[in-house]
Amino acid sequence: MGGDDPIVLEGAAKHFGAQTALHPTDLVITRGQAALLAGANGAGKSTLLRLVAGLCRPSQGGVRIGGRDLQRTPEARAAIGLLSHQTLLYDELTARENLHFFARLYGLDNILERIDAALVEVGLSQRQDHRVGVFSRGMKQRLALARATLHRPSVLLLDEPFTGLDTGASTALHRLLREFRTTGGTYLLVTHRLDEAEGLVDRLLVLERGRLQLDESLQDDLDADALRARCAPYLDVAP
Amino acid sequence: MSFLGRALAILRKDLQAEWRTKERLSPMVFFVLLVLLVFNFSFELGGAALREIGPGVLWSAYVFASLLGLGRSFADERENDALDALLLAPGDRGAVYLGKMLGNLIFLLAIELLSLPFFILFFNLSPGFFLVPLLGIFLLGSACLASVGTLFAAMSNNMRLRELLLPLLLLPMILPALISCIEATALILANGRFEKLLPHLQMLGVYAVVFTVLSLMLFEYAIEE
Repeated sequence: MGGDDPIVLEGAAKHFGAQTALHPTDLVITRGQAALLAGANGAGKSTLLRLVAGLCRPSQGGVRIGGRDLQRTPEARAAIGLLSHQTLLYDELTARENLHFFARLYGLDNILERIDAALVEVGLSQRQDHRVGVFSRGMKQRLALARATLHRPSVLLLDEPFTGLDTGASTALHRLLREFRTTGGTYLLVTHRLDEAEGLVDRLLVLERGRLQLDESLQDDLDADALRARCAPYLDVAP
Repeated sequence: MSFLGRALAILRKDLQAEWRTKERLSPMVFFVLLVLLVFNFSFELGGAALREIGPGVLWSAYVFASLLGLGRSFADERENDALDALLLAPGDRGAVYLGKMLGNLIFLLAIELLSLPFFILFFNLSPGFFLVPLLGIFLLGSACLASVGTLFAAMSNNMRLRELLLPLLLLPMILPALISCIEATALILANGRFEKLLPHLQMLGVYAVVFTVLSLMLFEYAIEE
């Protein structure tokens, strides 16, 4: 187990009262890996993702990001970008104001240049001074992508990121994730739509009732049918 | 970025959003004005009655108006799960508390300043020097309300019955500060001596500092699921 692997879970578990959302789990995701986290509803995917993001505290065990304990070193969160089906944006602010706020929150330098580049990257330069509340779902998700990557994280956590995206936005997200990997980035993708994960992942993790039941390396070019076949025993879906 | 810098970034964002929507300030101001108006018509509040119930009416209006504002202080964060983005940012999460607390303090001071002329008008007061110490009581009383109220607003944010829970948590806890605010305001309206006012100022100052420090320490645990 490398000391500075991007994502390390050491016996991490999460209980909500008497309910166990995630049983003690050991997991190492190495630099440049792209893992798909699959599982039926209530399997513990979101809990695991929130533990890795530092959004909830493990009931036992620990989580390390880039070798740093997430609970003891709050600065470790700077390495994480989160793109969820929710945009994590403020509807009352404009696209530029949203990005400016997050840039200040992360203490970034060259804020204006970064924001300009991010807006160009997601194709929202023309709408930068419009309030996010009037954006379409696809535009909001593109801006959310800019927000999640503005601080150039080394780890991307993706929770159903394709929800509500039109074809153009979905293609742009695919392209960005491929580019992210080529630059050494690591990501953990949670999605129900296995067809969207096609060609994007090289590792498959399957959770069932809070336990990691399957952990295997994949060929990059594995298609959706092959993914479904591997997940089927745990997802109650036809292979 | 520094702790204070992040807190100020959150404060600026909240003020910017409020400037656009007026979702928090407008209901708070109208609520206070309505309470003052209702009491003005319900009782004849000139003279002796003013000293008896005027300060209580004023501070009760502020406390209940603060519940409206505090309840909304995390509403923007609930929408689109934006709170997750705040909690994901590196550094001490106490900065989120401080930014929100300062925002609540500013909104409370704003409604107090906006409603003060109406209080003077409805309650037949003559504007004068008494306003200066009253502004000090407004500042300290609002700091007490904002310090403990922001923590409870964060705690109740993820709960289904948050509208009910917030007053249930806040009202008993704010009672000592509320009593001091009412008594200090009564003293000021009666042109009381500064020596009598001092213990109330000290009590409010200590309350605000203690609960701000405690809340900064507890916020991370209060805001997590």
